[in-house]
Amino acid sequence: MLEEPYRWVEAVRNRREYLEDQLRSAAPVVGLSFDRGLVLLTSTPGPRKIFEVYNQVAFAAIGHPADIEKLRKAVIDIAHVEAFNFSESDISLQRLVSFGVGPLIKSAFDEIFRSPYTARGLMAELDPPDDQDALYMIDADGSFISARDAAVVGGNAAGAPALRRRLGEAGSGLPLQEALRRAIEVWAAGRLMETDEADPDEEQVAEFLGRELAGTRLEAAVLDRTLPTKTKFRLLADDELREVTASYSS
Amino acid sequence: MESTDFLNLLKRHQAAPPISVPPEDAVRVEATEGTTILALRYRDGVLVAGDRRATMGNVMVYDRADKVLCIDDDSVLALSGSPAMAYEIARLLEISFQHYRRSQLQVLSLDGKLRILSRLMRENLPMAMQGIGAVVPIFSSYDAVAETGKIYFYDVLGAQFETVDYCTTGSGSPAIRGALYYQNRWGDEPLAEMEEARSLTLILKMLETAAEFDTATGGYRRSAQVFPQVMRITASGIGSIAEAELEPIYRNQLQI
Repeated sequence: MLEEPYRWVEAVRNRREYLEDQLRSAAPVVGLSFDRGLVLLTSTPGPRKIFEVYNQVAFAAIGHPADIEKLRKAVIDIAHVEAFNFSESDISLQRLVSFGVGPLIKSAFDEIFRSPYTARGLMAELDPPDDQDALYMIDADGSFISARDAAVVGGNAAGAPALRRRLGEAGSGLPLQEALRRAIEVWAAGRLMETDEADPDEEQVAEFLGRELAGTRLEAAVLDRTLPTKTKFRLLADDELREVTASYSS
Repeated sequence: MESTDFLNLLKRHQAAPPISVPPEDAVRVEATEGTTILALRYRDGVLVAGDRRATMGNVMVYDRADKVLCIDDDSVLALSGSPAMAYEIARLLEISFQHYRRSQLQVLSLDGKLRILSRLMRENLPMAMQGIGAVVPIFSSYDAVAETGKIYFYDVLGAQFETVDYCTTGSGSPAIRGALYYQNRWGDEPLAEMEEARSLTLILKMLETAAEFDTATGGYRRSAQVFPQVMRITASGIGSIAEAELEPIYRNQLQI
């Protein structure tokens, strides 16, 4: 039946709807530059969502934990085989996404009889070469867009542009605490938009944070160029996050 | 669960280094070789040192070869034998450990690290049996659980041995093994109780002794500013000992 072009288009459309439906309740991941590098932030009910891929590259995703795990493993494998075959300096986010993760997700999405990856990814690279974009947002159909200073992937695709606009005002060069505050506010707006697609105002965000933050497990990591170690990736400790979240409790 | 092994991953990608047995009548290439390396336990951890000379028969190929390589935050691999295979093994080891840490979200245990090295040695066996590409490494690490430095060495076949206080391999090693044994047993202080400055002086003296009796081992050369490589492994991590720190020891303690 799928030989008919119409049926095929319909099947793809169903797939998009299915993915949209599955991802809708996922808490967004926010990526933002700060004065020492990049910060990634999200919330999770349990499993981790932000990971190190290589010294200067991080991977975060929303969606089904098993699919996140598969994608994470795939991109780590690609990066390490590259590092062995060539050199560490040849690992670039642009290549990992456009030749690695992007096509991988796309081919799973295209195979109508297989389940697609129920996941959206956000990848970050610290100080990419040739002044390329440092953040990539990868959709569940394998398409991706890049951004320089700020990026967000959320469960509600329709709300994504509004969230990105909100982040866009952030600019770069913020101290870490400020960047985290900004990220938490965008994350909250994303959560509010799961149910109501209207862009929430400051007051609604503040109210939501006062109400919800205490019972939420936030997860955040930095790619920090000032770290003395080879790897620039570091998960933030709960204490560090608590310093920022304390100011929101009502 | 899917295999977590980096070597298998490389094989799947057909990117593993080709290991094959050369035919019996193959033309023997004269291969470059690295020479004396040694590791000593001392009070705070382990010192690992290597001379800098690489030779091919009578020819000195290179006098600034690095034979002491930092593999991760707490292990150091020192290599004698064929640098071609040795560097490949060191590289594989380094990326294997990183791959494990990132993909499994935990650090590989010391035993796990030793096991990978053992396996790499065995992979290299067919070539080593033909007399090409044999590597004799010393693997040193800080064991955070036992709070002490650990030294392991391997034979060409990949058998792993743990040594207690010191280890040396390479062509210059027979000249200093006895001296190390003597020092450890009847010296005024056992090696493992020495403080760093003392252990450092001893390790430099040993390298000079090896260079005295073995032409393939290069000693300190003031005129060319060739220093051996020395690394320290302690609870706080790995540090390379700077040439500026070695120079006064040669001048004052070794009178060179």
